[in-house]
Amino acid sequence: MAASTDVRRRLAVTILVFGAATAIVCLLAPVVGSTPIRLSRVFDRTVPFADNVDAQVFFIARLPRVVAAALVGGALSVAGVVFQALLRNPLASPDTLGVSAGATLGAMVAITFHLDLAAFGIPAVPLASFIGSAGALGIVYAMAVARRRGTSSTVLLLAGVALTAFLGAIVRFVQVIADFTDTFRSVRWMMGSLDVASYAPIAAALVPMAAAFIVLGALPRVLDLISMGDEAAEARGVDVRRAERAALVSASLATGAAVSLGGPIPFVGIVVPHIVRLLVGADHRLVLPASALFGASFVVVCDLVARTAFGAVELPVGTVTAVIGGPFFLWLLYRHVA
Amino acid sequence: MPEAPALAAAHVSFTYGGERLVLDDVSAGVARGSIVGLLGPNGSGKTTLLRLLAGTRTPLRGEIAIEGVPVRSLSRRELARRIAVVPQETHSAFDFTAIEIVLMGRYAHLGPFELEGPDDMAIAREALAATGTAALARRRFATLSGGEKQRVVIASALAQASDVLLLDEPTASLDLGFQLEIASVLARLNQERGVTMVVSTHDLNLAASLCSALVLLKEGRVLAEGATGDVLTASNIRSLYGVDADVAVHPRTGRVTVVPVGRVH
Amino acid sequence: MAAVPARGLRPRRPRALIAWCAAVAAAVAMAAGVLSADAHRVVSIIPATTEMLFAMGAGDRVVGVGSYDQFPPEVGRLPRVGALLDPDVERIISLRPDLVILYGTQADLREQLERAHIPFYPYEHRGLADIPQTIRRIGARVGVADRADALAARVENDIENIRQRVDGLPRPRTLLVFGRQRHALTDIEASGGQGFLHDMLEAAGGTDVLADIHRQSVTMSTEMVLARAPEVIIELSYARGDPMTEADLADWNQLASVPAVRRHRVFLLSGNQFVVPGPRVAAATEAIARTLHPEAFK
Repeated sequence: MAASTDVRRRLAVTILVFGAATAIVCLLAPVVGSTPIRLSRVFDRTVPFADNVDAQVFFIARLPRVVAAALVGGALSVAGVVFQALLRNPLASPDTLGVSAGATLGAMVAITFHLDLAAFGIPAVPLASFIGSAGALGIVYAMAVARRRGTSSTVLLLAGVALTAFLGAIVRFVQVIADFTDTFRSVRWMMGSLDVASYAPIAAALVPMAAAFIVLGALPRVLDLISMGDEAAEARGVDVRRAERAALVSASLATGAAVSLGGPIPFVGIVVPHIVRLLVGADHRLVLPASALFGASFVVVCDLVARTAFGAVELPVGTVTAVIGGPFFLWLLYRHVA
Repeated sequence: MPEAPALAAAHVSFTYGGERLVLDDVSAGVARGSIVGLLGPNGSGKTTLLRLLAGTRTPLRGEIAIEGVPVRSLSRRELARRIAVVPQETHSAFDFTAIEIVLMGRYAHLGPFELEGPDDMAIAREALAATGTAALARRRFATLSGGEKQRVVIASALAQASDVLLLDEPTASLDLGFQLEIASVLARLNQERGVTMVVSTHDLNLAASLCSALVLLKEGRVLAEGATGDVLTASNIRSLYGVDADVAVHPRTGRVTVVPVGRVH
Repeated sequence: MAAVPARGLRPRRPRALIAWCAAVAAAVAMAAGVLSADAHRVVSIIPATTEMLFAMGAGDRVVGVGSYDQFPPEVGRLPRVGALLDPDVERIISLRPDLVILYGTQADLREQLERAHIPFYPYEHRGLADIPQTIRRIGARVGVADRADALAARVENDIENIRQRVDGLPRPRTLLVFGRQRHALTDIEASGGQGFLHDMLEAAGGTDVLADIHRQSVTMSTEMVLARAPEVIIELSYARGDPMTEADLADWNQLASVPAVRRHRVFLLSGNQFVVPGPRVAAATEAIARTLHPEAFK
C-alpha cells in the first residue's frame, strides 16, 4: 500500500481548505457593500444593462475591486514569502529591496508632472508606476549579478535599504515641488486604493503577475533549501545562482505589478507569510500557494471593510490591512509562544 | 587495475580574492570506505579544500575527481548524489522540523515538481534512526540541543544517499559528551554502511581515534599525508601548531592519543 | 514720527516759519495716513484676494502675488512670493509691503511679519456669502472702501438675479466634480455640502447630491456615484498645463445607469473662475446656472 506521504497529504488539504475559503470570500465580496443590491436583480437579463443599477454596481464598481484586491493580495503575499526566503530574514517584505519605492516614484512623477501617457487603456499613473518598479528591479538585479557567486543576502538587503532610502528621498522631493492639489493626490495614492473602476489595468497587471507565478511555481522546494544557506543548498544539488535570480526577478515583477495596480498597501507582504507559516508550517511548497490564497482573501476582506465601515467616507485600504493584520498577527504569535 | 580513490585532489590551487593563494598545489587522495582527517590551524585552507572537494567552488589550477570522474563535468544534482556535506553550523531562518530538514537531503533525487514519496520517507526515517534521532522527527529544529542538531544534519546528509560524506569540524561547537557521541555515530556509519568520510577538525584525539588516514595542511600546503600512525607525530604537530605534544598509544583504548604539553616559540 | 515743535518755541525768521509750517503739514498728513491706514504696497498670496484688489481698481497697489494667481493677466508681470505651503518670506519683505494678505492658517508667516512690523490681513476660505464681505473688508483695509462696496454690491446683486431666474424651477440633483484621474474614473473629487462650490451650485438652481456630507471635498468611489445617481454631472477643468477637454467626458459613459449619463447631461466647465472665490464668482455661478437651466437664460 503506497501511503500518501506527509507533504502530499498536507499539500492537498492546504490547497483544498485555503482554496475553498478564498473562493467563498471572493464570491461573497461583490455582493456586500454600502449600497444594498439584490443578486436576483444583478443577473436579471430582462433589464438592459445600461438601466440596471444593481448590475452596474456589481460589475463596474465592485467586481473589479474584488478582482484587483485578490490579485494584489496574492502577489504581495507571494513576493513576501520569496523575499523572506531569499534574504533568509523573516522580517523581509516586498518593500525591502526598493521595488515598491521605484513604483511609488513612478506614480509620483506621473501625478506631479501630469504625464499623459495612457496606453492600451491603462491610465498614466499605473503605467508610470510599473515602469518605475521595473527600473528599480533593474538596479537590484544588476547588483545581484555583479557578484560572481549567488547573491549574498546581506549585500542585497543593505543595497535594498539604500535604494529604498534614495528613491524615497526623490519621492519626497517630487512631492515638495508639486502643485498643491497634486501633493494631495499623491498622498492619497500612497495610502493605497483598489477602486480601479475598469478591467484594463487589471488585465495589464495580470501579465507580469502570471509570468511571475509561473516561474515561482517551480521554486518552492528550492526556497526551502536556499533558506538554509547558499552553501548548504548547493551541496544538496541546487543551482543557487540561477534559482536566486529567478526568484528575485519574479517576486519583484509581482510586487511592481501589485503596487502599480493598488498602491503600496502595507503589511500584506510581511504579515501574511507569517500567519500562513503559523498555520501550515515552514515548508515553502505549502507556504507559497497558501500565502497566495490567504493573501488574496485577506485583501479582499480588508477592502470590503474599507468601503463599508464608514458609509460615505471610504477608508484607505492600507489602514485597514494594518489595523486588522497587526493585532491578528500578535494574537497568533502569542498563542504560538505561550 | 588499482581502484580509483573515492575522492582525489590533484595539484589544486585556489584563491578567494585573487591575492593570496589559500591553497597551493595541494594533492591528496581519499581511499574508498576510509575516514580521512583534515588537520591544520585556522586559515590553513581546510574549509576551502572541503569546498573544492564538494564541488561548490572551482579550483584555480588542478582538478578534483570523484571516483576518477572530474567534478567539474558533473551537474550540481549529480554531484549532490555522490557527495554530501555536513557544515560546521546550521542555522535555519524558518521553523522547520527535524524530519523536514532531513528530507531536504532528498532534493537531488527528485524531479523539479516531484514530492517526496514513501521511499523517500523511509530513507529519511532510517537516516534519523542511524544517528539516534528518530524520536526527534517532529521536533522543531531550532529547539534541539547542539548535539541533536548536528546528528539531524548528519542524518540529512545521509538521506542524500551519497557514497562520500564531508564534515567541516563536526564537533567544534559541542560539549565533551556530544563530541564522543558524534564520533561514535560516524564510526558506526563508516563500519556499517561503508560511507567514505573526510573530516576536518581541530580535535587531534578525535582525528586519531576516528581516522585511518590524515592530511595535514599548513598555510595552504600539504605538510604530510598518510596513515594516522605515520603522520601524527610529535614533530609534525610541532611544525603544524607550534605546540610541543606527547604522542602515545593509550593503554585502555589502544589508540593514539595526543597530549599537548606547551607552546613552542 | 514727525518732529513736533516744543511748546513755547516761536520761530523768529520767515524761512524758519515756512519750515515749521511744512513740518506741521507733513505731520498732519502722516497722522492722517496712519489713521486711515491706506495701503499702497500690497502683497496678496491668495488668488481670490488678488482678483478682488484688481476688480476694485486697486491693482496698481499690488506689488507681489502668489504662485497660483492667474487673473487678471497683469499679474503675470508681478513678482511671485509663493503660496500656502511655501511662502517666500524674504521675497515678501524685500518688496517693502505695507499690507500682506495671507491665509489665516499661515501661522509661521504671521509671526515673521509681526516681527518685521508689517501689517497683514488674514483671509479665511468660506462660503459664497463671505465673498462680498471679504471684498468690503479688504477694500476698507486698503483704502478704497467706496469702490469695494460697489464691487461687493454688484456681486451680491448678480447672484441674487441668478437666484431669482432659477427660482421655482426644478432643481436637478447635481454632482460637481473638480478633480479626477484622466482617462479613468478614479480619485474623483467632488464638492460636498460645505464651501463656496456647494453654495454656487445651490444658487445656480441645483441640489448638491452630496449635500448631506458636511465636508468641502469628498473622494468618491464609482459605487458611490452609482448609488447617488446624480441627474447632472458638472466637471470643472482649470488645470494650467493640460486641461481636460469635452472628449474626456466620455470616461463617464461606463456608468450607464447614472441618470446624468443616460440623459446626456454631463458637462464640462473650463476656467479657473470656478475655483477662485473672488469677484468672478457671479459669472461662474451664472455659467453653472446656464448649464442647469438653459431655458431660463434664453
